[in-house]
Amino acid sequence: MPLKEKIAAGKFIILGEFEPPKGADFDSFITDANLVKGRVEALVVPEMANAVLKASSLGGCACLEREGIPSVFQVCCRDRNRLALQADILSAAALGVQNIMAVNGVETRFGDHPQTRTVNDLDLIELIETVQTLSQGKDLAGVELKGTPGFSVGSTIDAGAAGNLLDIEMERLEKMLENGVDYVITNPVFDLRRFEQFVKRVDTSKIAVLPTVLLLKSAGMARYIDRNMRGITIPPDTIRRIQKAPDKVQECIRIAAETIKQVKKMGLAGVLISTVGWESKLPSVLNEAQL
Amino acid sequence: MIVAKRKPIEEIIEEVQAYDKILLVGCNECVTVCEAGGKKEVAVLASALRMHFMNQGKEVKIDEITLERQCDHEYLEELRNQIDQYDVVVSLACGVGVQFMAEKYMNMPVMPGVDTCFMGVTEERGVWSERCQGCGTCMLAKTGGICPVSRCAKRLFNGPCGGSTNGHCEIDKNVICAWQLIIDRMKNLDKLEDYEALVPIKDWSTERAGGPRKVVREDVMQ
Ligand code: SF4
Ligand code: SF4
Repeated sequence: MPLKEKIAAGKFIILGEFEPPKGADFDSFITDANLVKGRVEALVVPEMANAVLKASSLGGCACLEREGIPSVFQVCCRDRNRLALQADILSAAALGVQNIMAVNGVETRFGDHPQTRTVNDLDLIELIETVQTLSQGKDLAGVELKGTPGFSVGSTIDAGAAGNLLDIEMERLEKMLENGVDYVITNPVFDLRRFEQFVKRVDTSKIAVLPTVLLLKSAGMARYIDRNMRGITIPPDTIRRIQKAPDKVQECIRIAAETIKQVKKMGLAGVLISTVGWESKLPSVLNEAQL
Repeated sequence: MIVAKRKPIEEIIEEVQAYDKILLVGCNECVTVCEAGGKKEVAVLASALRMHFMNQGKEVKIDEITLERQCDHEYLEELRNQIDQYDVVVSLACGVGVQFMAEKYMNMPVMPGVDTCFMGVTEERGVWSERCQGCGTCMLAKTGGICPVSRCAKRLFNGPCGGSTNGHCEIDKNVICAWQLIIDRMKNLDKLEDYEALVPIKDWSTERAGGPRKVVREDVMQ
């Protein structure tokens, strides 16, 4: 069942984030994914997050679908032109992928291949429009397709935006809605009080908002994110909790689980749990959150 | 104008090291304005080269000339009677001028004396910045006169990406976010509703992606 229908049925959606390997060995990717099979609605497979070379999202999705685990295919403006994007989207549909998520992609100069040429043939809104066009049975040249793909369509939104920038995010959300986006995933959320201010601006009856809950690994990581990542604040109490805890890993799991519970209490559609390299700990997060 | 910057002297020395009779050719237009390849820069380069060869104890003839333009036959023709006295030409025009010179004087090695960068403006003396990439289908009417093709790192057409911070681009704090400029300008023009409208997917076939380009005007052809 595509996410859209599950969201409409009022189910609290749990997504996990599973980065494909840097390399051709998908063993642990598949093993870890099977640990949460049936416990998550789908696994989001990032397309070279942070512009670091990895196996593709489509490759990861194909592996997951083969295991009977629903996936979310990420399409990214950065690396492919409109031909390649449309070809991949059609192929994803044929592989059984029912969910798609459009992203801009982090600038290549921040990744591990800064010498490359970025593509950006389509921008984010245009890419979303493209998914919709294909879903209506035509390609961007207006030519009829043999077999129409159907997807639940998602994208991202910056929940940390404030003031003028928040207005811009809302404008973008409007354009996404016009183009049939069903759900948006936010950047990592730690400070729920601040996040509530953002949610108030969104008509959640029209679009499902799924905050990202990031599993921290250490107090150092938390401090780094708080200082350096725009739009993300981590309350000092949270950082202190990790510092003081005898079992720091367990404490991080507990923090993530608490955030998930609070998101659920806020009545939001669901969460994306991001474990960045600690995918094998996802079951513990779900246990702790009683999910 | 076309903005260029001076090539490192070491690079030019390498280009001309093997020759004994060098002609340095400046251009009086864009590269003069951006102080990279005009008469003044030709003189500076000539002295640097003379000094270099003198230190090497090598006798080299180095002459200087600056043409009105190097992208028109008419001006390049001025070299016709003297070019044979040299065995290499260093053109300080943009890449366009260098190539047109090479096309015209088939037997003469022509080396670039500048690095051609972009089409842009003089923000203030010593600061030049990009404004246009010649995409072939100008869309400035829809974006408040500010070009997202050349000024937005991601060439976005429907508002800024999520990375814009306090009006600056995520790629570099020193780069102004083009979309911030567009929005500010639309506000001033009382045209924010234009910003909210979706721009149709851009046709890139008129840009470089469609191969080398040409403009043909039969009405002005002779
Ligand atoms: S040759 Fe290049 S620098 Fe000189 S006028 Fe033509 S375009 Fe401008
Ligand atoms: S839209 Fe195209 S032609 Fe117009 S300024 Fe930008 S790059 Fe130049």
